Amino acid sequence: MTPTVNVVYFPGTNCQRETLRAFERVGAKAHLIFASDLLQGRSRLDSADILCLPGGFSFGDHIMGGLVASVLLTHGLKDQLANCRQRLILGICNGFQIAIRAGLFGPHVTLTWNDCGTFQDIAEQPHVVARDHGTPWLRGLEGETLTFPCAHGEGKFIFTSRQGWRRVLSYPAGANPDGSMEDIAGIATADGQVFGLMNHPERALHRDANLQFFENGVNWVRS
Amino acid sequence: MVFRILVVKKPEYSARHMQRWAATLGLADLEISRAYFFETDSELPAPKRAELSAALADPIIEEASERFHTPAAYECWIAYQRGIIDNECDSIVRMCTLLGIEGVKAAKVATVYRSGDPGLRSAIETHCFNPNIEEIHDAEPLYDSLQPLGQYIPMRCYDLRALSDAQLESLGQEGGRNLNLRMMRQIREIQQATSAPYVTDVLLEAMDARWSDHCYHTTWKALGHLLQKLAQASRDTANPNIVSMFEDNAGVWDFYDGLAVALKAETHNGPSAISAYFGQLTKLGGVLRDILGAGQGADPVGVFEYTATGVPGTPSPLRGRPSPKQIAQETIRAIREYGNTFGAPMMWSQMTFHPAYRAKPFALGGCIGVIPKNLAQKGAPQKDDLLLLLGGLTGNDGIHGASASSAGAQMDSAAVQIGSPLEEVKFRAAIMELRDAGCIRAITDVGGAGLNSAVGEMGDPCGVWLNTALVPLKTGGLPMWRILLSESQERMTLAIVPEKLALARAILSRHEVRHKVIGKFTGQGRYTVIHDPSFDEEKIVNTDASQLPRSGEVGIDVPFSLLKYEPEAILPPEAPRLPTRATCWPHWTPSQLQAIVPELLADAEIASQIYASMQYDSTVQGRLTYGPYFGDPYRARVPTSFWAAQLIPDKPYASLFAVSFNPWLFEANPRLAARQGFLACLNKLVLAGSKLRDICLCDNFYTPHLTHDWAYWLVAMVEEVAALVRTFGAPVISGKDSSAGSVETPEGIISVPPAVFFSALGKANDFNKLLTNPWRKAGNLLVLIGPGCASAAGTVAQRVLRLPGNDVDEIDVDSYREYLLALERLDRQGVASGMPVEAAGILGVAVRQALATGLGARLELEPRELLMEHRCGAILEVSPPALSALPKALQPRVIGEVEAGPASVRCGDVELLTPEAIRAWRDSFRRMLE
Repeated sequence: MTPTVNVVYFPGTNCQRETLRAFERVGAKAHLIFASDLLQGRSRLDSADILCLPGGFSFGDHIMGGLVASVLLTHGLKDQLANCRQRLILGICNGFQIAIRAGLFGPHVTLTWNDCGTFQDIAEQPHVVARDHGTPWLRGLEGETLTFPCAHGEGKFIFTSRQGWRRVLSYPAGANPDGSMEDIAGIATADGQVFGLMNHPERALHRDANLQFFENGVNWVRS
Repeated sequence: MVFRILVVKKPEYSARHMQRWAATLGLADLEISRAYFFETDSELPAPKRAELSAALADPIIEEASERFHTPAAYECWIAYQRGIIDNECDSIVRMCTLLGIEGVKAAKVATVYRSGDPGLRSAIETHCFNPNIEEIHDAEPLYDSLQPLGQYIPMRCYDLRALSDAQLESLGQEGGRNLNLRMMRQIREIQQATSAPYVTDVLLEAMDARWSDHCYHTTWKALGHLLQKLAQASRDTANPNIVSMFEDNAGVWDFYDGLAVALKAETHNGPSAISAYFGQLTKLGGVLRDILGAGQGADPVGVFEYTATGVPGTPSPLRGRPSPKQIAQETIRAIREYGNTFGAPMMWSQMTFHPAYRAKPFALGGCIGVIPKNLAQKGAPQKDDLLLLLGGLTGNDGIHGASASSAGAQMDSAAVQIGSPLEEVKFRAAIMELRDAGCIRAITDVGGAGLNSAVGEMGDPCGVWLNTALVPLKTGGLPMWRILLSESQERMTLAIVPEKLALARAILSRHEVRHKVIGKFTGQGRYTVIHDPSFDEEKIVNTDASQLPRSGEVGIDVPFSLLKYEPEAILPPEAPRLPTRATCWPHWTPSQLQAIVPELLADAEIASQIYASMQYDSTVQGRLTYGPYFGDPYRARVPTSFWAAQLIPDKPYASLFAVSFNPWLFEANPRLAARQGFLACLNKLVLAGSKLRDICLCDNFYTPHLTHDWAYWLVAMVEEVAALVRTFGAPVISGKDSSAGSVETPEGIISVPPAVFFSALGKANDFNKLLTNPWRKAGNLLVLIGPGCASAAGTVAQRVLRLPGNDVDEIDVDSYREYLLALERLDRQGVASGMPVEAAGILGVAVRQALATGLGARLELEPRELLMEHRCGAILEVSPPALSALPKALQPRVIGEVEAGPASVRCGDVELLTPEAIRAWRDSFRRMLE
């Protein structure tokens, strides 16, 4: 069985190619699906084993990062999104913003402008995997430090309650690029199936650990 | 009707950076909110309004409301002016539709500043307001409509046959045109040749743009066809890597595996002087489109940016124009917003502060893109191909932008284009699909001089028929000439193969790219522009090209053969006298040097510019790259001397890129500075691992036009570059000339130095064998190679310490060729790293290396030697046994040794990298802009 992945392209998405490449490198069949096709019924959000919301600036980040795309998912494709929620979902950068605003991690979390007030470009950003992450995406990487690029402006993670989500990735002390609360760099839903992070493992596939991240998702489908 | 929703940040989540910023304005109680205005057909029901409010505000950190809950003594509301479409409008309207809120016709966003301080208005007006494109109000503005106004105005006609020279001249300058008498006489000849009873304002405006410096290189032609000289020199190299050169939107250079790389750089100096934000935004957008419009469409894989402006803290010499500091700040914001949104990684960026650029900055942007070699030639439309316009709407912005490029500072705000990167992201991917599906016969971007340039160039010599009434507008209507000349951004024109139209439309619709057939290629060799709303898209598609009507108003209907213009020759100028002031370096002791190092490292050319560069995405697209920085970002990150990328996944081939520019050197001697710049680019790429024959260049000349010697230096620089091209076999494949670098101001004429910026492209067959910059190991020797530059001219030391010297070193080109060939053949075994010498000389290299690697350096040189900028040389890090293998042609000289950490730079026993020096290097650039 070849696991399938739907990578969604919204107007303004710009990381679709490296994301498709990442999943294909680990043996998945990755499809780019267009928001316009989804809304007109020419393709479906829930037609693959994994849903991936890639990085970029969907709808120009207008109003706030990820908002318009999240409304598209929650109002235009509500039932299909609910079906996807039963499988694996990955949100990277803008995709994480979309997932947060679509409520996939519950109502107690959000993302806002980095503390420094600007975009942060760091090619070699370290991230520490939680030992008790509970998500298939990070299986076998417990306690490891993964290095991949940080490239975002609206990535400061804020929460008001710990309900509905769990910390799975952290920034090491002194290397928090956005001011996220408790140095949180990535979160998963309580069941671990939805995973979101601001930074970009798909941009650093020359490092095996980053590739393993995608392989984990694909292997979970196979299992 | 218009209604409004406020979105206010909850006080406990007030952003830290905004608090800091408010404190710097002296407005500790400053509140910043957003106001969204909506125009609907009828009043929105309360539940829908509540749903919309809920969607607009982040429920954790914001609150949406009808009114402010707390009073404030002072308010400022800032929004775009009525004639300017808010980029967010489309997305807001789209969101309303998704929410099931129908009938929203337009939207607009305002930023609301509130404070109890009476200084609010002054502070906001100074720091947050651009009067050229925005409106400011002390209370909430009351809008009766959000939709831009505008109407079609019939064209105006002139019989030129009866006009005197004075009348011709006056008409040529009317309404902001820059047509001189010679040009007007030629237009009169067009009227006579076509036996037309009159010419129209559409033709006058079209020729004004067509014969401008931007489109026609008029100044360069007048000086003896300088562009042809450069192109001929490049052809003479017979370099087999040349795929396309000086005939398309970008030059194209061969790569590996059937791929080629397109290179282009362009300036946007005039618009950036008026609105740095939009000027710089559209600079990057424009050069990205140049790459998209190269061949059948190249895919951008890297961008670069350079801006020179005045010294922060000094005012603009022109009233109402942004200060150098504002230009610098807005540049960073614009480059970040366009480049990051578009998704092409930043390869290199740099900002220079130089007083000569205080009236008109040097705003240069560039891009490289990948294209299959078999699709890299400029396309030629054929009869019956459809003229398709795609992308953004056409508005009343960017009028006379191209002709103003010939006119110094005489530009009005309408010449500033309004950029919207989202449009360009959308059509970028679509163009690649159209290309691969065989839909495109020819493609070009709509940039300077708008559709007139894009369609006029595509249609020559085939012939083209265009109906301006079909062009989608931002406004309610526009005169025909404004539709033709508008430089509204994010538009491309394509010649579509007729049988592929349906496929092309399907691709564009899937990518949500606006598109319309607005004309057809005719095969009749004529340039025809009409305005006829009744002759719609489908009629064009279904009418044979030879039967297209001259209906409605006919603005232009002229054979292309009549549109050539030969400018009056400018006589070869005499060489200006250049009194030489010899360099005189002081004989410092190491301790004396230590005392001045902080001041040297605070110079923006050597200081950390991480405050800006950190804001540009350098990793998008996920390629394996080297550069643009090395070092730990949380400690010290410094620029690499070159950028390289593996352009083909899983293949080792590397594309290499480097630049060179030093305006102070051009001030001293433009010709020799051009030589050093050209050679410095070659040096960087050969050192990195490219063969000399695998390097090409792009030149961007930016020269004054109101100095007594401008013409001499321009010709001298071009001739110098042409000679270098032939000597080194490295062709110039692309470039641009900006010949209006003088500005009349109340303090007199301010001119930029005659100068040329070089960017260079190389290639190497193994990415992993490139010689990179960072020091590797304590105990390795530091070896200076290449010709020395002992002059103080153009050095950081000269301007910081006011040293005399304009005696720019004249590098001998023949021996330099031997040096480069020796470097090319160098056995890299035992050579651990290599770094060209640039700003602040050997000291600059050592400081950057030490800070980025954490290693130290012991330098065995006289203190003054540390500050010499051997721009065409480099410092190799060599293992001691490998030293003897370095060939003599490299002129190797051991100057020190790498030491174990912590980071240090020692001259004798004196530590130059003091805490004060580190702080100066790290903080000075940011402080200049805060």
